[in-house]
Amino acid sequence: MKRALLTGNKAAAWGARLANVDYVPAFPITPQTEIIETIANWIDQDEMDCRMVTLESEHSMLTAAGAAAATGVRVFSATSSQGLLYAMEMLYTVAGWRAPFVLVNVSRGLAAPITLGPDHNDVLAARDSGFLQIHCSTCQEVLDSTLIAYRLAEDERVRLPVIVNMDGFYLSFTREPVQIPDTKIVNQFVGEFDPENIRFSASAPVSQAVAVLGGTPYSYFRYETHLAALNGLAVYDKITEEFANTFGRRHDAVEAYRTEDAELVFVMMGSFATKAIDAVDGLREAGWAVGVLRPRLLRPFPADHFRRALAGKRGVAVIDQNLSMGKGGVLHTELASALYASTECSPVLVSFIGGLGGRDISLEEFYEMASVARKAIEEGCAPPPRLLYTREELREVRKLQAIANVEREELGQKK
Amino acid sequence: MYRIRYHGRGGQGMKTASRILGTAFFLEGFEVQDAPRYGAERRGAPIFAYVRASRQPINERGIIRRPDLVVVADDTLVSIPAAGVLSGLKEWTILLISTTETPDVWKKRLNFAGQVLKLPEVAEVEDLLALRFVGSACTGAAARLVGVISRDSLEEAVREELTYLGEGVIQKNLDKALEAYDLMGDHAAAVREAGEIPADGYEKPEWVELPFEEARISAPAIHGAATSVEVKTGLWRTMRPVIDYGPCNRCWWVCSTFCPDSAISVDEQGTPHIDYEHCKGCMICVAQCPSHAIQTIPEHQAEIAGGQS
Amino acid sequence: MSETRFQRKKDLPSTHLLGTGTPMCAGCGGLEAIHQIYDILGEKTVFINAAGCMTMLSVYPFTPFRGSWLYTAMASAPAGAQGVRDGLDVLLHKQRIESEEDLQVVVLTGDGSAYGMGLSATSSAIERGLDFLYICYDNEGYGNTGQQYSAATPHGARTATSKGPGGFPGYKKDLFAIWAAHRPAYVATVVGAEPLDLARKIEKAKSLKGPRLIMALSPCPTGWHYDPGESVEIGKLAVRTGCWPLKEYVDGKVVHTKVPHQRLPVEEYLKRQGRFSHMFQPERNEVLLQEIQAKVDGYWEGVI
Repeated sequence: MKRALLTGNKAAAWGARLANVDYVPAFPITPQTEIIETIANWIDQDEMDCRMVTLESEHSMLTAAGAAAATGVRVFSATSSQGLLYAMEMLYTVAGWRAPFVLVNVSRGLAAPITLGPDHNDVLAARDSGFLQIHCSTCQEVLDSTLIAYRLAEDERVRLPVIVNMDGFYLSFTREPVQIPDTKIVNQFVGEFDPENIRFSASAPVSQAVAVLGGTPYSYFRYETHLAALNGLAVYDKITEEFANTFGRRHDAVEAYRTEDAELVFVMMGSFATKAIDAVDGLREAGWAVGVLRPRLLRPFPADHFRRALAGKRGVAVIDQNLSMGKGGVLHTELASALYASTECSPVLVSFIGGLGGRDISLEEFYEMASVARKAIEEGCAPPPRLLYTREELREVRKLQAIANVEREELGQKK
Repeated sequence: MYRIRYHGRGGQGMKTASRILGTAFFLEGFEVQDAPRYGAERRGAPIFAYVRASRQPINERGIIRRPDLVVVADDTLVSIPAAGVLSGLKEWTILLISTTETPDVWKKRLNFAGQVLKLPEVAEVEDLLALRFVGSACTGAAARLVGVISRDSLEEAVREELTYLGEGVIQKNLDKALEAYDLMGDHAAAVREAGEIPADGYEKPEWVELPFEEARISAPAIHGAATSVEVKTGLWRTMRPVIDYGPCNRCWWVCSTFCPDSAISVDEQGTPHIDYEHCKGCMICVAQCPSHAIQTIPEHQAEIAGGQS
Repeated sequence: MSETRFQRKKDLPSTHLLGTGTPMCAGCGGLEAIHQIYDILGEKTVFINAAGCMTMLSVYPFTPFRGSWLYTAMASAPAGAQGVRDGLDVLLHKQRIESEEDLQVVVLTGDGSAYGMGLSATSSAIERGLDFLYICYDNEGYGNTGQQYSAATPHGARTATSKGPGGFPGYKKDLFAIWAAHRPAYVATVVGAEPLDLARKIEKAKSLKGPRLIMALSPCPTGWHYDPGESVEIGKLAVRTGCWPLKEYVDGKVVHTKVPHQRLPVEEYLKRQGRFSHMFQPERNEVLLQEIQAKVDGYWEGVI
């Protein structure tokens, strides 16, 4: 077991390597490319016994991933934003095949306008697809979650593909200390790929992913997929318990930091949650009773974990690094539905949208969000959702607009 | 609300027939909802169509569970469970069948308490799919049976729905429709509108909790070979090919090679045999047999003659 | 020629593998080709399907295959084939399956996908040298959705979306040339109406490695508007009029396996199909007929 400085991308590549994956269909996209380059180099150096193939699009890449998994091998792939969306048809499709594999998504803001900085709209667009989702906050978690994801995906009570999500740039290109676990121990933890009866072989003819006509059988197949996804909650808890006992690191479905006696809780996903931890420490020093809840599992949605963790709490500041156009923050919506009509658990929920396209969220902003949330607790009702955006930022955009919308007369052209 | 369900085969014009009736109701000032519904969208395969008509706006949707009138354009469908002809039939439902048999024969055969009516004047026809006007005849009869559609509205509806066809074809359809309308005079307005299901007296749906089943079972996969043989596509046929083993000279199995459905097998002596459970009646074998040893006969004649060659 | 086991028609298979009971239209020219092809390829196959008429071959719980099948999506069947082929190779390489468990990977696609949406995935699979067979059943339109025109629709054909007086204004894409430009291991055109020619080509394709692509003209009674019993006759006429050249691309050359020496006029083929009836009724459209004839003549002049 060695401890090294690894980027999130490298950590993901290590996860695939340690899991002894058989097949990596690939297609490059910023900010994921280091993952596939790393794996390609390891294969070229004979450090991984694995086949990598570059497909011509992510739609084809996901098709190849699902098809190989449905043939009976352990598959790894990775993508981001536009690529994930280009593959969207196949995300739903391969989940319905019940072909388990792991897809690392390096979160990046979606076009239009096209950008490179991270937020969570891409991975959240996949939340209805049948893929399970694990959201990481550190590079260590990326490696660990990849291993956990194989156990989760391949568990006979689940048999669904899993997305392991990391923030672009803040994790993908950022080096942090990562314990790289011992190969032998990992082999024991992850085990061998068992295709069960979803496989192709001459002696067992099978017609897979066939058409289903009629609402009655279709409902059966779809709902069974949902039940399998729900099983992920109990299975995840068991696997992470075993992971903690084996590797000494705990990755609960919902990470709780200083929430036991908190009145007010920040809820957010991904790498910026570590900033929330710092903010909580600062606020605690100033006398606040505050904590952070960070869901790692987004699908299946850990409703019970939230209800237990938020029982008796008075206020929640939900920070969404995503935006559902015409509705608002997705995490806020999902949390609200989980807490609805609960008598033990009815904190006021305050919605904040921040970090879109990689926009930073400062420590001062966390403190101010706590302030707003406290006021909401006192008044018993939440203010309208707030986009974290400053006067200075607006000034900056105005300057850009002035350049972009230069009056035609100034350029000597007629209006 | 009038709830009418049509049954026919793809190619018999059931969709058009249901639209003619729908339009006729509409012209009479009714609110209307009509729609076809396909299983396999293929010529010869069973299809059905619905018409709902009411004086009030229609909120009900989807399949008609409790039809007031069931119109069957092809009586060979009655014995096919997948065609669903008998689904939801109640004592008040009128069953109108295009058939050469008498209504009493059908009542007994189906053990049906309601009324069975025969579409008038159905001549012995060689190929039921060639009976191109059966849809119009069915609709003409249905229009008279519901009693609220005038002869003029029926005519206007036929013209409106068939406007894309040539005048000659429109006239033939019109003649058939009006003829059936007139001949149904004795049963005018026989169709009753069933009442609605009361909220304080309904049959409780038997909801179940769907149990989780492992992917071994619940993935959409078929673990086996050639399960399609369970589907008796032979039921699509209205005509069948019959091999005359006299002229058949056991060539290089032309018929067997050219049958797209693998429905002609060749035994060790080189003799071809047609699998009538699956033969769809395309007649490629008839067209290609070099010694013209395969004949075409209507399906119902084959049944009378005892079936297999 | 001497290496083929299909010397005469009596060498053609007399037992048939593909199961009965599929929901394809009576007289389906596509099913005609596939049932002949399946007899030669055999059960040790896995068919990877793109959306089209043939997707309906397997509808839960019914499948006509004695081997395996995977339905993917409309645009990415060749990528599915890549995944399955690679998966099998890995299993064999890592000795997790015996070599007898190996399967031939076969893409089955209609013209809608092959000529259009799936062309990118096909091109890339060929470029990667994927070891697979690729069968396109070409009924010259988007058949499963009601025969709207596709890039495979011939000039002048009436379809659900080209009902004007001249029919389809476009021209059939030369997909054979596009495939051949990739220099794959093998390309061939076939038609179920010529079973001996088809059998030889499938046998040859089966014996080679790498990307092998087959284009099967699939006369379609439903989409082309003719009586189902005429499917084979129309297939024969397509060949005899020169409208459907039977050829192969192999070893860098295009070779015609049948050259119709006394080519029938194209109208012998066109007039049998309702989709071309506007060329004959209410009057003959001489301009269109001559244009089509000239194109076919021009093609064969280049060959002979």
